[in-house]
Amino acid sequence: MDGQDNEQRLSDILDMIGSMASLDFSRVLKISDRNDMIDAIALGLNMLSEELNAQMVARDTLDELNDRLEQFAHTTAHDLKSPLNNQSGLLMLLELTLKPEKDSDVETCINKLKLMNEKMKSLVEGILAYSVVQAREITKERIDLNELLREVMELDDVVGRADVVVEGTLPNIFYNKTSSIQIIRNLLDNAIKYSDKARCKIRISSKDLGKYYQITFKDNGPGIESKYHDKIFELFNKIEPSYKAGSVGVGLATVKRIVEAGGGRIWVESEQGKGASFHFTLPKHGESVETAKAMDD
Amino acid sequence: MEYRETAKIRFTLRDDNILQTECNPNTVMTLEDGMESTRISAEMVDYTPLPLLCDLTNVVKMTQECRRHFSGKEHAETFSKCALIVTNPVSKIIGNFFIGLNKPLKPTKLFTSKEEGLKWLKQV
Repeated sequence: MDGQDNEQRLSDILDMIGSMASLDFSRVLKISDRNDMIDAIALGLNMLSEELNAQMVARDTLDELNDRLEQFAHTTAHDLKSPLNNQSGLLMLLELTLKPEKDSDVETCINKLKLMNEKMKSLVEGILAYSVVQAREITKERIDLNELLREVMELDDVVGRADVVVEGTLPNIFYNKTSSIQIIRNLLDNAIKYSDKARCKIRISSKDLGKYYQITFKDNGPGIESKYHDKIFELFNKIEPSYKAGSVGVGLATVKRIVEAGGGRIWVESEQGKGASFHFTLPKHGESVETAKAMDD
Repeated sequence: MEYRETAKIRFTLRDDNILQTECNPNTVMTLEDGMESTRISAEMVDYTPLPLLCDLTNVVKMTQECRRHFSGKEHAETFSKCALIVTNPVSKIIGNFFIGLNKPLKPTKLFTSKEEGLKWLKQV
C-alpha cells in the first residue's frame, strides 16, 4: 500500500513540476503528516511555486508601469513638439522685429534662447524616436545596406562633415527600413558629434557570423573609457555632458533598443584616445535569436 | 528563567540569556503567529537583541508572509543571531528556504542538534 501511495505522491510531484514549467503556479501539493523526504520535496515545490508566482506578478506590474511610463513620455514629448515649434517661430519674429545690433546683449540673449530651443527640440525628438521603437509595426524588407548608407549620407550631408570608408561590400539584410536608417544615422551622427579631430574618419565593415551579420562602425574619435562601455547605451547617459552641447543622450539608447528588438546585440570596443568601434549584429533572415535557434535545433 | 507560551509556540528565556522557541507538533506558522512571536520575543528580551535558538522541528508549514516577516527589520530587532534547529526533512526545507530565499538580516544558521546550535550562539 505504501509503495502505491508513494508512487501517487511522486506522480503528483511530477504533475506539479509540469504545471510550473508551463508557468501555472495555481497547483498546491498535499503534504502528509509523515514528515518524510517526499513531504519535504512537496513542501519545497509549494514554496517555490508561491515565490515564483509572486515574482511573476511583480514583474507583470513592473512591465505595466514601464509601458505606462513610456506612453506618458511619448505623449508628453509629442505635446511639447508643437509649442516648441511655435517658440522657434516667435524667436525668429522677435529677432526680425528688434533687429538687434551685432554682438549686443539682445542678440546674445536671442541666440542663447534659439540654442536652448533647438536643444529642447532635439531632446523631444529623441524621446519620440526612442519610444516608438517598441510600438512600431515591424514590417521587414530586403535592404541593400550599401545603398541605404549612401541615402542616409546624402540626406544628412555626412560627406561634408566626415570621411566615410566602407571596407568591401556591406551585406543585404532583411530588416525594417526605418529602423535600419535610425541605426546608421545615429551611429554616424555619434561619431561626428564626439569627434575631436580636424576631420572625423569613419570605417564601416561587416563580418559574416553564420546566423548573423556583424556590422562595425569604427571612428577616429577620442575613444571611450571602459567604465562607460555599458553606460553609453543607457537613456540620457552621456559621457562628459559639457563636451558636446548637441548630445541629449538618446541616440545610442535608441540604437540598442532597435538592435535588440530585432534579435541582435550591440557593444563598443574602445580605449581612451584610440577611437571607438561600435559593433552590432543582425540576424541574417530577420528572425529573433530564439526563433533562429529553435529552427536550427 | 522566564517562560511564556501561545497556542502554537513556547518561549523560554534561558539563564544563559538565550531566547529559545519551540513549536507544538504539526504547527503551521502564519503571519499572525509570526507577528505575535515577534511581540512576545521583544517583550521577553526587553527590546535588547539576544541570541535566539529556534527549533523548527515541529513546524510543517510556514507561509510566505510569515517567512518575509521573520526575515524583516521588525523581527531582526529581537535577536542578535539565530540558530535554526532542523531535525527532519520538512523543517530542513523550511529552514533552507528561509535562509536562501528570504535572507534574514541577522546571522542565521541551520543546525541538526540543539547542542551545536547553542555552541555557535555562545561564540562571541
